[in-house]
Amino acid sequence: MVKIMMLTTACVFLLFGNEQQVSPELENDCLRCHQTHNIPSEIIYRRYLLHYSSKETIKKKMVAYLTNPSKADSIMPPQFFDKFPPKEPNKLTQERLQQRVDEYILYFDINKKLYTPKEDK
Amino acid sequence: MYRSEKRSLYRFLIFYLLSTLILFSVGAAIFYAYEKHHLLDQQRESLKLESGQIKHQLMLLHKEFSEKLPLFIKKPYQCALFDSDRQLIFSTFVLPPTIDFAQEYTTYNGRLTLVDGIEPYHLGVAYIVMQTPIDTKAIAHLREMLLLFILGAGLFFLAIGYFLGRLFTAPMRQSIEMMNSFIQDTTHELNTPISTILTNLELIETLHKCDAKKEMQRIEIASKTLSRIYDDLTYLKLNHTHKRDIQPLDFSNLLQERLLYFASAIEAKNIVLGDVITPDIIVQIDPDDALRLIDNLLSNAVKYNRQGGALEIILTAETLKIKDSGIGIEEKELQTIFERFKRANKSEGGFGIGLHIVYGIVQIYNFDITITSTLHQGTEVTILW
Repeated sequence: MVKIMMLTTACVFLLFGNEQQVSPELENDCLRCHQTHNIPSEIIYRRYLLHYSSKETIKKKMVAYLTNPSKADSIMPPQFFDKFPPKEPNKLTQERLQQRVDEYILYFDINKKLYTPKEDK
Repeated sequence: MYRSEKRSLYRFLIFYLLSTLILFSVGAAIFYAYEKHHLLDQQRESLKLESGQIKHQLMLLHKEFSEKLPLFIKKPYQCALFDSDRQLIFSTFVLPPTIDFAQEYTTYNGRLTLVDGIEPYHLGVAYIVMQTPIDTKAIAHLREMLLLFILGAGLFFLAIGYFLGRLFTAPMRQSIEMMNSFIQDTTHELNTPISTILTNLELIETLHKCDAKKEMQRIEIASKTLSRIYDDLTYLKLNHTHKRDIQPLDFSNLLQERLLYFASAIEAKNIVLGDVITPDIIVQIDPDDALRLIDNLLSNAVKYNRQGGALEIILTAETLKIKDSGIGIEEKELQTIFERFKRANKSEGGFGIGLHIVYGIVQIYNFDITITSTLHQGTEVTILW
């Protein structure tokens, strides 16, 4: 019985332990709106990664855009705004905005996703 | 093969092989450096190829962007990923203390490292750092092959050198053979007349009363000198084939006998003889060798002595010392005095083979010989057994 409980606990940890949890603040301040309007936050992050690579630069660019959003400064192509309306200026304080951006970057963190399978090619 | 011929051949072979070895070593070193570079180039190329594979995987993973991103890396390659700020994203190995991102290829601790830049930054990766151990087996194999080649070439050139050496020393061999043949013919022709003269001299002295005593003595000395030269030449000629009969020999007795033999010559030069010969000194030596040793030393001491000079002979259980008061030998001549046909002073007759024979005998029996001489004062020869 003890063995079965231990195995079940181990399986639960293996399945959900590594998954990044979304903070309620990020959920409230950012992701809820994205989900309501079907704005793909993952695609946006991938484009940031593709263009700016480092977390520091991504954070700087995101904060700059969210403080004063414009089509010209957006990471997304102009066609994106045909489907989704341009974002309004953010009402969050700078400190809070920076915290949310940090949480957003951490949510998609590549470092934790990459791994080498045991069976090499 | 004669000793001088052997010496010349060895010297030629040493110089020939050394120069060939130096030439081949330089060639092999250049070839080794080139081939090693080529082998490293091959490894660099395969590292670059694997980096290309990882780039492709990163591109696909970027598109998928799933919860888990598996990165397949072939063995024995290792990989590390960095962002544009050179912050580590992912690594499969312990990174070296410093990575030079400006240098494409570096070697560190027996490992080859590649820094490969990516653009656009799939998954945010700006640099792929690949690492693989340098394949030393191929380089070691190359080294072995080169060593084998040098060894093979050395043996081949040794054979060629030997053949060439024999070819070059052929005239020398012919000259030595001619000289030996001449000595053989001469000694053969000298033998009968010398024996006849000496026998008849003894007969005249025994059977007839002769008034010309001085003249007879001179003839005797001259004949004995000739006889000794004959003996020396025969000894030299037969030295290669002579089988020694080493036995306990009464050296004191032999020395006394030889002093009697030289008595006429000593008397003719009015030499004052001072001999201290310890009786019954036994030396392990071949009788012929002992005879040649004593005769040559006594002959030189008498021949190069001055008129009315002194001759001192000391024989003990450990040493034979013969000291004359003759013309002496210059110091620079002492270095080469034992060489064959070497004559330090040409005022007297001879072939310059006496001390060469003495030195040869001394070497055979592991005796020690020392010659001290002062010009115009005399020479002292000491043999220790």
